[in-house]
Amino acid sequence: MDNHIKELRARYNLTQEDLAKKTNVRRETILFIEKGKYNPSLKLAYEIAKALDSKIEDVFILE
Amino acid sequence: MFTKATWFQKRKYGGWGITPRTWQGWVYIGIFVGLVMIIQSLPFLSEMVKNILVGILVVLFVADALRIMATLKKDELEEKNEATAERNASWAMVSVLAVGIIYQIFSNNLKSVLEVDPFLIGALVSGFLVKGISYFILEKK
Repeated sequence: MDNHIKELRARYNLTQEDLAKKTNVRRETILFIEKGKYNPSLKLAYEIAKALDSKIEDVFILE
Repeated sequence: MFTKATWFQKRKYGGWGITPRTWQGWVYIGIFVGLVMIIQSLPFLSEMVKNILVGILVVLFVADALRIMATLKKDELEEKNEATAERNASWAMVSVLAVGIIYQIFSNNLKSVLEVDPFLIGALVSGFLVKGISYFILEKK
């Protein structure tokens, strides 16, 4: 699954650490999701989308 | 009890249990070791009293470690990684246990005795039971 987390983080000036804190996960987890190495649960995907003020389908793309 | 879970982290690369992650965690370990050494060096205590005091300390220490392990926060990726690592570890252990049992059966068969270490069988049976119970609980939820 591809995603636009990096671009959205840049738009809102958020670091991986900031996003990790907002979603209650470790920075490494955000890094793995961002790189497409880990597909988050639906709950975490929603939390990430909410933290990035976006719709889930605008953050994650099912290829 | 006396500690914060944030002082510790789960062991990942060196076995099971917890290891200090902050200086407070190391101080806690140091206090425990120091207390044991002090108790052991007190000349006016009998060996039995020393053993009882150290035993109480160890029980408190282990109980606190178990509490910390239960309260340590893990995110979903950590949980997934831990589950995979534990599964791999259990497969390694099951393989060695099975080889051990087969070895014992063959080596004892040469001596015309059918004897296998009950702890090996017990370990395999308990693993078998825990796996079944875990699946039952997880799929009933």
